[in-house]
Amino acid sequence: MKTRRTWKLNGKTVTADIPGIRRLLDVLREDFGLTGAKEGCGEGECGACTVLLDGEPVAACLIPAAQVPDGAALLTIEGVARTRAGRVLQQAYIDAGAVQCGFCIPGMVLSSYALLQRNPRPTERDIRTALSGNLCRCTGYAKIVAAVRLAARRLREEAK
Amino acid sequence: MIPNADTPRIVFPKDLDEACRLQANPRTRGRLIAGGTDLMAQWAAGVPVPERIVSLKNLPELTGIALTPDLVEIGAATTHAAIRDDARLRPLLPALVAASSSVGARQIQATGTLGGNAANASPAGDTAPALLVTGGLVLLASVRGPRTVPLDQFWTGYRQTAAAPDEIIVSFLLPPRGRAKETFRKVGTRAAQAISKIMIATRVLVKKGSIEHAAVAMGSVAATPVRLTALEQWLQGRPLTESLPEEAAAVVRETVHPIDDIRSTADYRRWAAGQLAADALRALL
Repeated sequence: MKTRRTWKLNGKTVTADIPGIRRLLDVLREDFGLTGAKEGCGEGECGACTVLLDGEPVAACLIPAAQVPDGAALLTIEGVARTRAGRVLQQAYIDAGAVQCGFCIPGMVLSSYALLQRNPRPTERDIRTALSGNLCRCTGYAKIVAAVRLAARRLREEAK
Repeated sequence: MIPNADTPRIVFPKDLDEACRLQANPRTRGRLIAGGTDLMAQWAAGVPVPERIVSLKNLPELTGIALTPDLVEIGAATTHAAIRDDARLRPLLPALVAASSSVGARQIQATGTLGGNAANASPAGDTAPALLVTGGLVLLASVRGPRTVPLDQFWTGYRQTAAAPDEIIVSFLLPPRGRAKETFRKVGTRAAQAISKIMIATRVLVKKGSIEHAAVAMGSVAATPVRLTALEQWLQGRPLTESLPEEAAAVVRETVHPIDDIRSTADYRRWAAGQLAADALRALL
């Protein structure tokens, strides 16, 4: 038995026929070819599979795609990269040297993007809380926090 | 990866009535799922996926927070994020708001639900101690009709609840704190994502320098989340003195029976349980 769902995926209306409890992560990666969301732990602890569901970070490895309701807006790193704030964030991550192996970075950028959408002037504590569900084993986080601060500053300056 | 993820039949009842009818018949009954954050992780870890799943996601009767002067009703499918972000709740149920804000991290809070956390019935469920200190009720529904179960009778054993196989958790009926003070604290390897080693919630009313009412609950010190009734009775009517917190810690260490497991040891948990109780009482001095 399949569940048919219609979503706005990266701004485009799409329909998915989902068997059983196939994970949102597999539907995005295998059925839609959006391989930006990664599988790290597969149990909701590492955040590599983070995507935005109606603007909020979620772990795509823990969500049965059939449970994502019709009309939901899904944003993956491929979609965020086409937004102004997404591009500013990506450039800030590069400029701050916040990327090493890169596996966690799509999830990091999406959690950062969601944070800056709801809070354009985050403190270091806000940033660390917002990114606490995204693990990075390379950087030690300091440069990632710096990247988010840099992006926030650039976006505020642009808005002036 | 979840083995055989494509095989289960997942059903989406349109309201609580339909969900109850499905659960009434063993042939249509399914594993109930709300946010799925616990279940999906368990299935990924090798627990066999069930043949039938009944989704409670977005059932109108199970979602939302309703306030009356002496009761807060929180629908079972309400997410931790909704509890965290509802500014009306903070003065009424601060321990629960703190607990929901500390579940996993933002990704889990956006998906996981209060009812799911209770139904999963882990002794390490973050919201359970905060629910317990309210002295509130769980509302259950089935085709046989609704009934309520006091929260301190809801968790009956390790991963077991008082809900019958045909019953669905509808909501939590929680008296707000009134003039009492609440605390919530958890101890884990790190603040986010780590499953707790131990946690505490308290609701204490002090009147004229003495403890008029004390509710203290802990997680991960027994097979279920528990109220510390021995400590509560010991505190009842006692003057709030400088030495009270340390004396209370000794009472706690005599009465809790935690276990060794992968996250911590019984000895550490017993010691920490005393410290956490003492800290909560010290905050009242």
